[in-house]
Amino acid sequence: MLEKLSAIGGQALEEIERSSSLESLDQIRVTLLGKKGSLSELLKGLSGLSPQERPVLGAAANEWKKKIELALEGRKTALEKVLLEQQLQREKLDISAPARIVHPGSLHVVTQTVRRMIQIFGRLGFDVTLGPEAETEYLNFEAVNIPADHPARDMQDTFFLGPGVVLRTHTSGVQMRSMLAQKSPVRILCPGAVYRCDHDATHSPMFHQLEGLWVDRNVRMSDLNGVLLFWARELFGADTQIRLRPSYFPFVEPGAEVDVSCFRCRVKRSEQCRICKGTGWLEILGAGMVHPRLFEMAGYSRSEGLSGFAFGLGVERIAMLLHEIPDLRLLFQGDMRFLGQF
Amino acid sequence: MRVSWNWLSEWVDLSGFKNPNELADLLIRRGLEVEQVERLDRGLEKVVTARILSRSPHPQADRLSVCSVDCGSSDPLQIVCGAQNMKGGDVVALAQVGAHLPNDAKIGESKIRGVVSHGMLCSEAELKLKEESEGILILPSETPVGLPLAAVLGKDDLIFHLKVTANRGDCLSHLGIAREVAAALGLTLKKAQPSPLCEGECPIAIHLEAGELSPQFYGVWIEGVSVGPSPAELVRKLEVLGLRSINNVVDLSNWVMMELGHPVHAYDGNQILGKTVSVRKGREGEVLPLLDHKTIQLSGHELVVADGERVIGLAGVMGGGNSEVQATTKNLFLECAEFHPSWVRQSSGRYQRKTDASHRFERGIDPTDLGRVVSCFAQEVVRLAGGRIVGLKSVRAPSRSQFQRPAIRFGLHDVHDFLGFPRDQSPLLLSELEAIWKRLDCQVLKQGDHWEVRPPSYRWDLNLMEDLAEEIARTVGYDLIPATIPTLSSSPVSAISSIPQLILQDRAKDSLVRQGFHESLNYAFTSLGSLESLGLTSTVRLMNPLSEEYEWMVPSLLPGLIRNALTNWNHHFGSESLPIRLFELRPVFAAGASGAVASSQTETGVQEAWKLAIVMSGPRFAGGLRGDFAPVEFADLKGVVEALLRDLGTRGVRFLPFSASRTGGNPLFHPGKSAEVLAGNTVAGHFGLLHPARARDLKTRDDLWLVELDWTQLLKLSRGAFQVPSYKAWPEFPGMERDFALVVKEEISVDKICQVALKAGRPLIKGAKVFDIYRGAQVAEGMTSIAVRVIFYDETRSLQESEAEAASIKLLEAWKQEIGAELRG
Repeated sequence: MLEKLSAIGGQALEEIERSSSLESLDQIRVTLLGKKGSLSELLKGLSGLSPQERPVLGAAANEWKKKIELALEGRKTALEKVLLEQQLQREKLDISAPARIVHPGSLHVVTQTVRRMIQIFGRLGFDVTLGPEAETEYLNFEAVNIPADHPARDMQDTFFLGPGVVLRTHTSGVQMRSMLAQKSPVRILCPGAVYRCDHDATHSPMFHQLEGLWVDRNVRMSDLNGVLLFWARELFGADTQIRLRPSYFPFVEPGAEVDVSCFRCRVKRSEQCRICKGTGWLEILGAGMVHPRLFEMAGYSRSEGLSGFAFGLGVERIAMLLHEIPDLRLLFQGDMRFLGQF
Repeated sequence: MRVSWNWLSEWVDLSGFKNPNELADLLIRRGLEVEQVERLDRGLEKVVTARILSRSPHPQADRLSVCSVDCGSSDPLQIVCGAQNMKGGDVVALAQVGAHLPNDAKIGESKIRGVVSHGMLCSEAELKLKEESEGILILPSETPVGLPLAAVLGKDDLIFHLKVTANRGDCLSHLGIAREVAAALGLTLKKAQPSPLCEGECPIAIHLEAGELSPQFYGVWIEGVSVGPSPAELVRKLEVLGLRSINNVVDLSNWVMMELGHPVHAYDGNQILGKTVSVRKGREGEVLPLLDHKTIQLSGHELVVADGERVIGLAGVMGGGNSEVQATTKNLFLECAEFHPSWVRQSSGRYQRKTDASHRFERGIDPTDLGRVVSCFAQEVVRLAGGRIVGLKSVRAPSRSQFQRPAIRFGLHDVHDFLGFPRDQSPLLLSELEAIWKRLDCQVLKQGDHWEVRPPSYRWDLNLMEDLAEEIARTVGYDLIPATIPTLSSSPVSAISSIPQLILQDRAKDSLVRQGFHESLNYAFTSLGSLESLGLTSTVRLMNPLSEEYEWMVPSLLPGLIRNALTNWNHHFGSESLPIRLFELRPVFAAGASGAVASSQTETGVQEAWKLAIVMSGPRFAGGLRGDFAPVEFADLKGVVEALLRDLGTRGVRFLPFSASRTGGNPLFHPGKSAEVLAGNTVAGHFGLLHPARARDLKTRDDLWLVELDWTQLLKLSRGAFQVPSYKAWPEFPGMERDFALVVKEEISVDKICQVALKAGRPLIKGAKVFDIYRGAQVAEGMTSIAVRVIFYDETRSLQESEAEAASIKLLEAWKQEIGAELRG
């Protein structure tokens, strides 16, 4: 019996060692250890043995069984390793093949620029107010100190929609709406589309403005200066300078045109600079101290000691400067070759 | 307005300026924008007068001469010249070596056919004095030699092109600009203002019949003038300012205006009928032939100058052709008057005549010096045109006798506080304020803790402390104003904040950008034709459009986006279809019941409704292989809308097929391939395929999918955007799923199957989704096979197979009962 056992076991170990696939290994396991397997059959024969022989042979058989199982396991691990390696050898992607890409979208530069402005000014405490684009002539002009027969009307070529109704030429009407709706202090930004009868590479009949208004007791012109300097440095860089030049807008007094030092020339002043045309300065916005007439129109009492500042900037102008866009009309053509760039 | 350096120098000493740009900078710093400084001598810098000493033929060329010329300084120069019109003794224009002429020729020392030429004798064409000329320029023989030609021609001048703001009517003359420069530099004016004539005999009676609309009128009668051409100097003086010479009298009226800022007028005295001149309102039906040879019909809403029988001038705008000064005129009546700014503006606007006169009257003239101005005019006329001043006559309303501007009273430190300067400290002492105002001709009184400042008569723009503060600021320089940050005296929240609306706008835009869309902006106006071709119309029309193309306010954002799609297709080439992904979020416009008419100070009668519109076409992905370039379909579009609504936190929106719509859909959309969006019972938009008829008309290249949503409705339903989500636990016990293949009639919408499942399967059925739809040979005609997956679970325990089984049987029953669905055999 013992010989028979060693013969079966020895042969099994050899077969296991020789086996080259998981299937053949499994086959060996079944032939030896399965219900009808040779080792199982042999062990069934134990019952016919004498009580003396039985434990000896039983122990030997179990030992062989363990050995075989160990060998099977070992061989299986080895084979699996080989197979995995073969699989890894076989499986390969060309990672240079084109990716499946979701379409990239984009916000219009006008929106991006307005958001940046709101973010910058917002840090100082400005709220945001929107208003209608079709505006009464009264709020667009009279209420902001531009009476019907005033030469300042010539400053803005106006589209009329009907008697007393215009497409707003600036967002100043929203400022007046805000002052009519609330008491001082008023600190608002008014972004939005505005309209003027003008159309060429630098004028669009529709464009966007962002106006700011800050009304409170004892607001000083130095506050306007400081706020605009803060804004310019946030937008164009920490070493930006601003320059205020006296000018005239009926809704402010004193009024100023505000220039910002050229952000491209700053490093190296160049006569050929495409951005500032060699002047070193960019004309960027109009500003001033709120004309007391506006407080009167809004029903604010003079005795409150109110003052305020206001400024208005052209969003497209700033977007065009920042992104070096050569023609204003590009912004309104819906050309994805343009829109997708920003 | 144009200002001449030389003319300005007559008024104020400009020798302190090292170069013209310094003066330009000063003017800019004072708020007078200089658009351009024009050098009249450009190209003439090295051109001098020279006398030809001798002329001899060129040894090598018959057509050329060799001249010896004296240009004042060194030895005579040898010049080769091709012209034939000169002789020895002539004074000519010599371009010296190094000259760069106005016609861009550069002059160097050259050898012409073997003879050296040290310059060139110039023709008028070469000097750009004329378009064409024959021969060289021969100057009058008495012209001194060796002078810059520019000086001889009166071109040694600089012209400043100023943009004077509407508040500074006082700066529309050389006197005005000189006052500014003098005030800035602390100088006094060189020229005294002319002294007025005494009142005397004047055969014309003056009547002011319009009260304060024309509060004063000065007239001078001159006899025996000779109207003729102006002297060259006057012609040049006006020419460089852009004023064409007419005759000596008219030219002098322009000269007075440019000198002193008052529009003045000369009438042919003999044409003033009835020996009276009156200022009055026009009368309806009256006609006036104007100086520009056109006749206008008066409306009664303008100010006119009339004689005893007819109207002879549109007051403040333009004189009448019926009393025009002509070559034969012998007697003159000169006018210097004051007309009301807004009346002049109205006339000028109504009759479309923007003149130098109306420009100045609209902005206000100095009401105190009419007598001096008209006297100056009269004296100059007599000087140039001869004749005799018979007399001056004036009529003034009471408001104009002893006229002065009201004084402005304010606190001693108000200006410092307002501008943000430290009180009475460097850089701005109180004494400095006083000095600045005085230099600007203000009368200044310091009374206790107050200032009392009376502006000069010509400064109509100075009315308030703020105006006087501006004078200080622009004099010391805006750049000296400190930079401070204002303090926040209360919460920054405004009573009418639009922040919530902006947050939702940003969310919507960000959602669409994430989904691959580009934001587009289109004009709010378009042509009627482009709307009609899409079956749309507009109710708001621009009264003064730029062109037909931009005449009607848009009722929808889709026409713009569809046009954008066509634009993009037009420049697209290649075999692949173009991915189009565009959106726009803006208002559209409609007239209210009574039209676009202002019904109050704040109501326009125009309804502005914000819309969110999308167009979509072309491949599903931006990159990949063939399979990824499948064109987008309704499911993609619906996915975009649903993702958008999810990102906005919109709740309570339903989609309805057009067939079930009570409003009948929208002409832009394919009725069978589009959905109506409902918010409650209100239509809140549409999405679907562009109507095939429209697609055919527009020649679209690919299927174009559209969305237009009513933004205001969405806002109302998007309160979810502002709710802070609370944590919710997910089910602890595993659920089960069962798949069913059902056959239903085609007209049953698939989501009905899910609705029935969720309703009938309560409480165990927690989800149902359709995952396949099949129509075709494998199912009967008119039927659809639908695969649906149903999810069962219970939050409190694991489910038994048998429970799911029982629920499934119940569900099948419900499907059969409610929508006639059978299990597919």
